[in-house]
Amino acid sequence: MITQEENVKEISASKPYIVVKDLVTQFFTSKGIVKALDKVSFEIYPGEIYGLVGESGCGKSVTSTSIMDLIPDPPGRIMGGEIYIDSFNILSDLRSLAKIRIKSETEVKIKRSKRANKRHNEILSQIRGNKISMIFQEPFLALNPTMRIGDQIMESILLHNILSISDGIIKRHNLNSNDLDKFMKNLNGENDHLKRKKIINNFVSEFGIQEFEESLNSLIENSTDDSYVKTEIINMVQENKKNIDMKLISEIREYYYYKNQLFQLTLEEIQAERTGETAIRNQKHEQIKALRRYINNKYFVLRMKLRLAEKHYMAPFRKEARRRAIELLSLVNIAGPEIVVDSYPHELSGGMQQRAMIAMALASNPKMLIADEPTTALDVTTQAQILEIIKDLNELIGMGVLFITHDLAVIAEMCDRVGVMYAGNLVEETSTTEIFNDPKHPYTVGLMNSVPRADRKREKEIRLDTIPGTVPNLITPPSGCRFHPRCKFAMDICSLKKPKLVEISPQHKVACFLYSDESEVD
Amino acid sequence: MELRYYIIRRFLILIPTLFGLVLLTFILLRAIPTSDLIASFISQKATAQERVIEKQQAIAYLGLNQPLPVQFLYYLNDIIHGNLGVMYTSFYTGPVMGGIERFLPYTLELSIATVILSILIAIPLGTYIGARPNSPSDAIGRIFSLGVYAMPIFWLALLAQIIFGKNIGIFGSYGLPISGEGYPTTTKVPWIVNNVSEPTHMLFVDALLHGNLTIAYSAFIHLILPVGVLTLSILAGLLRFIRAGMVDTANQEFVKTARAKGVPEKLVLRRHVRKNALLPSVTVIGLLMAGLLGGVVVIEYVFQLRGMGRLTLATITGLNIQFYGVAGTVLFFGIILMITNLIVDVVYAFLDPRIRY
Ligand SMILES: Nc1ncnc2c1ncn2[C@@H]1O[C@H](COP(=O)(O)OP(=O)(O)O)[C@@H](O)[C@H]1O
Ligand code: SF4
Ligand SMILES: [Mg+2]
Repeated sequence: MITQEENVKEISASKPYIVVKDLVTQFFTSKGIVKALDKVSFEIYPGEIYGLVGESGCGKSVTSTSIMDLIPDPPGRIMGGEIYIDSFNILSDLRSLAKIRIKSETEVKIKRSKRANKRHNEILSQIRGNKISMIFQEPFLALNPTMRIGDQIMESILLHNILSISDGIIKRHNLNSNDLDKFMKNLNGENDHLKRKKIINNFVSEFGIQEFEESLNSLIENSTDDSYVKTEIINMVQENKKNIDMKLISEIREYYYYKNQLFQLTLEEIQAERTGETAIRNQKHEQIKALRRYINNKYFVLRMKLRLAEKHYMAPFRKEARRRAIELLSLVNIAGPEIVVDSYPHELSGGMQQRAMIAMALASNPKMLIADEPTTALDVTTQAQILEIIKDLNELIGMGVLFITHDLAVIAEMCDRVGVMYAGNLVEETSTTEIFNDPKHPYTVGLMNSVPRADRKREKEIRLDTIPGTVPNLITPPSGCRFHPRCKFAMDICSLKKPKLVEISPQHKVACFLYSDESEVD
Repeated sequence: MELRYYIIRRFLILIPTLFGLVLLTFILLRAIPTSDLIASFISQKATAQERVIEKQQAIAYLGLNQPLPVQFLYYLNDIIHGNLGVMYTSFYTGPVMGGIERFLPYTLELSIATVILSILIAIPLGTYIGARPNSPSDAIGRIFSLGVYAMPIFWLALLAQIIFGKNIGIFGSYGLPISGEGYPTTTKVPWIVNNVSEPTHMLFVDALLHGNLTIAYSAFIHLILPVGVLTLSILAGLLRFIRAGMVDTANQEFVKTARAKGVPEKLVLRRHVRKNALLPSVTVIGLLMAGLLGGVVVIEYVFQLRGMGRLTLATITGLNIQFYGVAGTVLFFGIILMITNLIVDVVYAFLDPRIRY
């Protein structure tokens, strides 16, 4: 059940949450360089579902993996372009990561810089799972087989939410009669049942005592004696305070606070590096070094403790995280979340596994979810349920989705806008209605014709009856427009120049010389 | 579902396996011509007629005139009562069971020390190398593994003696003992002489438990070279295996998921890759144990140590083959292997939640 009602869906003229610009990703294999992505550009706005569609092997997964910067290296590398996530360019230090010398197709020398890669990974680990999450095609392979579902979700929660969890614990610890008076006053000033419930809900969330929400509800229903209610609440909180070492909590909070600062400074350092402001860069660099030394010295003992007995010292945090994990599991419609939280992946069905993956992806309330063919490996009924969960999350929490599929029927059902990919290029991009009613690019037209539309039956694979030939080999892709060997309308220019993706009517972009003369310059 | 039931089941499976093992040693015994065995019961001085009678008596005594299944039952009965027969060699003469009791602790001490040491070295080193495939450290590891793997263990042992041995090696008289010489004998160890408790029968451990550091030291330096050589030989394969496990696991989908969650690189290796990579290595340790027992025979011989390996060797290297000795030691090594595999399986089930069904 999805209960959060904040941020109701809004697709507006707001800033895009994800901007992909001229993305080039290649794989260096023994047979040659696979030019998997060739200058792919698109944008995804907060709260929209953006579909990416195309035949298998056209680069959809490479695109999504590039956005997470998880291209396996070796053999792959992002070779150029920009990827902004929430306005931060994760590729801003791309140049410094490695020196690449391409002697020939099969002879490529890559010299990676250890330091730059370490810094890059540190930054990315703050972004992944936090600002953007991803779920995969095969949930069974994507879950760690030897770790309980709950532990895997809790890991996500604990990675990015230590500060807010400690704030909750501290707030609860300091709960005093003033807070209680305010709460009771609010409550007594309201007669409407639902609104009273909402006040209680806010109260328990504010002070991190969600587990008492139900008992509090019935307590307040059944008692008119304010002071009695107050003592009961105090008692409940007292129970929770037991065995919690507040000094440790605030020390951990402080440690993570400094680590956050370190992260901010690193971002600033990279920014300065990129703009060439050497003085600022050096200053930031010194600050980072000093802060790192400070943290290492001051929290040496704490880090040792966490290293040796994390489960013990993080117990209060883990308790909060576990509660949240169960909440997330019920949010994705898993029945019996208290049991599932302690199960291992192999004990769940495929659909349940995918739900658990989604719950894990939601751990830090990311604004964007990448779903790479999330239902392809599931049976039809389960497919529908998973799609519905994703759709619900989008509508109720306003989470943006990059939805990848080769199934046009799913696109029609799920997406607001669609990008069509062919052989490592984005060839067309427009709204879902328009793509079905007025496809422009010859490849898209072929795609549409290949699917029996009248009955909207879901096909496992797109059958390209209407498009002759096969997907090209991306080691030696066709020159110019990569679609030209298969295109009915191919002209002379098509094999010479690469058409540019241009807006031919509002909200409709196509890369084809039939609609525009503009070509890529290179 | 539960680990407990799994362990019970594994124990039950042990019974038929054990039976099979006993049957196998029985067949082994009967496969060797029995004439030698019978001959050992006949006195050389006797007349031809006496010999015939002695021969018949021996056959009756040994039960060789009974049908095979009945013989097997006798054999089984004896084994159940701990009677493995008698052996006569210059190394040891007496009941086979007594010999095993006397020489096993030393071998156990060697093997346990080797297993512990190899695991302690292989896990950190293997995971380190496996996390950096094709790096210089990986190359060094590969050369080490292949090099050691290619060397016969006796040669490795001789090499170790030449380099580190007392009086002959680079450390001169400060080198390590290369034979059992100076090893505290049973006649000198106070708690054996006075019949005080011998909790483990392993000299080094017992000495520590009794707080006698002189004897512990002496036992310890005698262990270093043999354990070192055995460890090297095991390490070679184990390192390669752990490395392969790490590389394999690192390419799995769930590792990508961990990164996608934002798990820092160090924790990805420590939390997600390492455990899953080490799982298959646990089973390999069981296999290596078999190799280890073979190695022990050689090592004990080269270092002149008095353990099970020597006892086994003695049964086949004397003037006469010691039938009972061979059967007894083979049976015993078999049982040790079975127990190791049981332990390995239980540990594996404990580590891998997918195993319990
Ligand atoms: N690890 C890899 N090594 C070599 N080539 C790869 C690798 N991953 C993907 N590719 C290539 O990249 C292209 C796009 O693949 P992908 O993005 O997986 O397609 P899909 O659209 O089906 O998700 C394919 O031609 C594929 O061969
Ligand atoms: S650019 Fe030319 S070859 Fe490419 S799709 Fe358009 S018409 Fe066909
Ligand atoms: Mg794919």
